[in-house]
This record gives sequence, structure tokens and C-alpha cells, in this order.
Amino acid sequence: MTKLVILEYPDPRLRKKAAPVTVVDDALRQFIDDLLETMYAANGVGLAATQVDVHKRVIVLDVSESRDRPLVLINPRLLSKEGEGPGEEGCLSLPGIYDKLSRAMKICVTALGRDGQPFEMNAEGLLGVCIQHEMDHLEGKLFVDYLSELKRTLIRRRLEKERKQRSTGGDSRAHAPAL
Amino acid sequence: MRPAATARSLSAHAVARVLREGVTLDAALKNALVGAESKLTPSVRSLSYGAVRGYFRHEAILGKLLSTPVRSLDFLVRAILSVALYELEDERSPQYAVVDAAVQTAKATDAGRASGLINAVLRRYLRERKSVDAEIASRPAPRHAAPIWMADRFRADWPVRWTQLLAASDAQAPMWLRVNRRLATTSEYVAQLRAAGIEAREEPRVPYAIVLDAPRDVHELPGFAQGVVSVQDLGAQCVAFPLALAPGQRVLDACAAPGGKTALMAEREPNLAKLTAVDIDPHRLSKVRENLNRAQLDAEVLAADAAAPGAWWQGEPFDRILLDAPCSGLGVIRRHPDIRLRKSPSDIDKLPALQGKLLRATWELLKVGGRLVYVTCTLTRSENRNVIAAFLDEHREASLVPVEAWEGWPGFGEDDGFGRQILPGEAGADGFYYAALTKT
Repeated sequence: MTKLVILEYPDPRLRKKAAPVTVVDDALRQFIDDLLETMYAANGVGLAATQVDVHKRVIVLDVSESRDRPLVLINPRLLSKEGEGPGEEGCLSLPGIYDKLSRAMKICVTALGRDGQPFEMNAEGLLGVCIQHEMDHLEGKLFVDYLSELKRTLIRRRLEKERKQRSTGGDSRAHAPAL
Repeated sequence: MRPAATARSLSAHAVARVLREGVTLDAALKNALVGAESKLTPSVRSLSYGAVRGYFRHEAILGKLLSTPVRSLDFLVRAILSVALYELEDERSPQYAVVDAAVQTAKATDAGRASGLINAVLRRYLRERKSVDAEIASRPAPRHAAPIWMADRFRADWPVRWTQLLAASDAQAPMWLRVNRRLATTSEYVAQLRAAGIEAREEPRVPYAIVLDAPRDVHELPGFAQGVVSVQDLGAQCVAFPLALAPGQRVLDACAAPGGKTALMAEREPNLAKLTAVDIDPHRLSKVRENLNRAQLDAEVLAADAAAPGAWWQGEPFDRILLDAPCSGLGVIRRHPDIRLRKSPSDIDKLPALQGKLLRATWELLKVGGRLVYVTCTLTRSENRNVIAAFLDEHREASLVPVEAWEGWPGFGEDDGFGRQILPGEAGADGFYYAALTKT
């Protein structure tokens, strides 16, 4: 398995819209394994193919505490949603950035599994929020898009500054101002 | 997506991993902190260490408040509750903020279904705290955050002092340093520390030991990078006495990692003919090299199994063998509180067989007239006295070296008829066991 490189905001490739998967074969499954490995290594609970610059409709998740219940959704589609509630989200493409955001409380989705077979599932709580977050990535959408223009600008500046410091060898995280 | 990472949620995840997988807390913390903001690190460390230190007291508290057994709860739920109970004991955050934070942590993680239970049990604790705490304080095991099996072992082996040992294991350990006396004397180094604003004092009975008034990051210690001092508990520093090293000896450190005692031996006797450090875990051996390199000391370092010397031993016997055997670690719990969560009685019952095997195998490598020193950092008779007694029974050519022949032994510990047992807290040291054997 290979650990892939996660794109970071404001990389324009995060804005690409992903294309539907037409065939679920061993090559795709290999990619899914790499995507899962990348997510686990980064302590993420979800990762979309878009975030590693592969523009196919694939997301992987694992919200279990034991980190041993991976979930793969290929061509996920939202069937229904219910209610709305606040939560706090972070994103592997926006290191160190967290913000409060409102999402549907309960959703029902359909997708293909790792074996190419279609299934439907209900999701709520952290899993529900995570699926919505990752499905947004496939549309080229990031959670900061729900925030105000001002906040987004501040976040972009902060991440660019940190990236610059990182490339010059400084430990940017230690000095990053809290938002 | 990355879940909102708070110091509390990261701590709960780290503690849950220790409970579930039996990894060390440091390993679990390292993993939990990947990708987290570095400003969270200090609070994650103190919350998770606080939870782990108090874990078995917290389980006992929950046992009084829950209608179902604590063990039926998910690891993460238990960990969230333990972090919250530590915060309530610590009293740095307002009570209701702690309860709300625990509920929020549950909701933001896999433990969402238990958020109601967490809220109810913590609120009930706040209401009934006085009577619950009084009841817990009346029982030695939960009072000192010891699991029942550990209290039972201590009571069986130390029927008079077992509660005292539980208390000592629950105390904070001081930070001991070993001064490399070829680079500085202890009094010189204490003066250097004072100049750096660090208070410390010498331990006259162990002429290279210094204890700090309060623990410090090693990088704040003058000369640390140059090997002037190393961090090592006083109990461990006593290893040089029973060994009685002398120039020209061939010495084997049979279970060397992480190399603290290897470095001590090289430091104490720079003119050994050869010092060989063996450990079965190649990963941990890199720690041995790191420790030796920092102090500019030299030794032959081998990744090998001391119990199977055929694979690595060149056939030349050793004058001195240090067997710092794998053990249950019940003497160093105050330094490694996670041991209580990670070890089980059945793990401990398997150890004497391994210890005996290592003793028999390394004994074959000892010169006639040579000395083998058996060391553990535990308090159980089964791993200490009984291992030596069984070995002496089957080896007529082995005899004990009496403590009077241990060069400069500082008088620590008590004689159990075979070796010396230092109990945790004695002279500020961790609990260690030493026995010395010679071949006739």
C-alpha cells in the first residue's frame, strides 16, 4: 500500500468535480486501499479521492474508535435528509482549521461498495456529518465554503503563511495563531 | 474529514487505545497527536496521564454509580469518563463545564450513543460525591487507583506493607539524574544546575546520583546533549554495586534496551576489555545506541536473543553478566502508571518461566569465578526470590554473592534470603530487585 499526498487548501485541484466510477476493478480497489491508508495515517475519519488529486467519485470513512471499521462509498448519492444541527468540523486539506457548521442530522445514501455491489444506508451523528463532508469534496466543495468570506480569507492567509514557514524549515504549527 | 480535535477528545482516544490494545500511553499519545495542533500537546499529556493514573479509582467510582458493570461500556466511553473524573478531582475547570465537555466529546466521536449515560453518571457523581468519595477512600485498592489483582498480589507478598506499597506506587516519582563523573562531579553539576535556576541535591550513598526538586525537560539540563548527565532512577543506578566492575573484564548486558544500565557500566568502568549489549528487540536497540552515542561511550550492540546464545555467542565466557530480566514492572508504576492498565495477572504468571530460561541460558556464558547479577523492577516474590531459589536448587555450581561483597552497596532494600528488594519510595527510588550469583 502507498500513502498518498493530500492536497491542501487553497489548491485549485480541490475545486474539480469528480467523475462517476464506471468499473469497480482491482486497480480501483488498490487505490481505495491506498486512500484508506492515507486517511488512517493522517488520523482522519474520512477522505475523498479529490483530496489526493484523483477525480473519481470515491470516498472512504472510518468513524470507529478502534479504527478497524473502514467504509467505502463509490458513486455515493443522497436519497434523503432530515433535520439540521450544529457540529464542529476539521479537514485533512485544511490542517489545524476547525469551525462550527450546520449539517443534516440524519441522512440516507446509496452507493456501490468495494465489491461493486449497490447498497443503501442510514447515517447520523459523526458518521452522517462525515459522509456529507466527503460528498462535498466530490463536488469540489470545502467546509470553509459555508463560512463567511472574511473567515475564509483569514484561513487562506494563515495556511499560506504556515506553508511558507514549513518550506523554510520552521515549525509553523507551534506559532500559529488561534482563529 | 478530521473530527474536531480537542485536548479532551485526543486524550480520551489515547486512553481508550491503552485500554483496548495494551500499548503504552506514550505510544498511544504519539499516535493521537499526529496532525493535531502542537499547542494542544501539553494539555493532552496532562489529561491522559491524569486519567491513566486514576483509572482504577475512576472505575470504582463508576461502579458505585452505574447499574451495569463498568466493563460492559465501550473503551472510549470509559476513557471519556476517566478523563472527566480526573478533571473533577483536579478541580482546575468548573464542574459543570467538565460534564458538558465530556458530553460534547462523546457526541463528536464514536461514543455519541453514550452521551446521555455520560451526562447522567457524571451529574449523579457530583450530587453524591461526598459519600462516594468516602467509600472509595475506605478501600486501599481504589483509593490508590490499583486494580484488585495488583492489590491482591501486593498483599500476598507483603502482608504488612501492602497498602503502603500501593500508596507509594500512586505517588509522583522524582526525577533522578546520573552524573558522568569523568565529565563532572556531582557537586559541580549541582552548582551548574543552580546557575541554570534548577534546584537539585546529591544522594551521598550513591556517589553519582542527583535528584531534582521538580521534573524538567532534559533539554533544559546543562550538558545533557554532551552526555554529562543521563536520566535514570536511583534504584536502577544501584546496578554497579553488585557487579563490582574492574578493568580488563568482559561484560555482557543480556537484556540491554533501552541501555541506561549499559551506559552506566561503560561510564563506571571505562577500561573493560569488552562490553556487549544484547537485546531481542532491534527496534529498542536503537535507543541503546542513542544512549551510548550521546555519552560518547562504546559497546558492542547485538540484536539477538539472550535465551539462545548459540546464534550469537563467540564462545569466550564473560567475567560479568547483567541479566535485567523482562518483568511485570510493578516496582515502577509511579513512573509508568499505564502498567496497571496494560498487564494482567495471567501475563505476570508467565514471566517466571521466561526469567528462569534467561537465567539458565546466560549462566552458561559465565566464567568460573565470574558474577551474574539478576535484576528486575518488580516486587513479586514469584519473579524475584523464587526464580533465584529455583535456579540455585538445580545448579550446584552456583552460589549467592552475599551483600557484604557488593562493592559499596548503599544499604538499600531488604534481604529476602537471596537478594535485595528495594521497595518503591525507599530513599526516593523505584522498586528494584538485585541478586548476585557466582560460579564455582
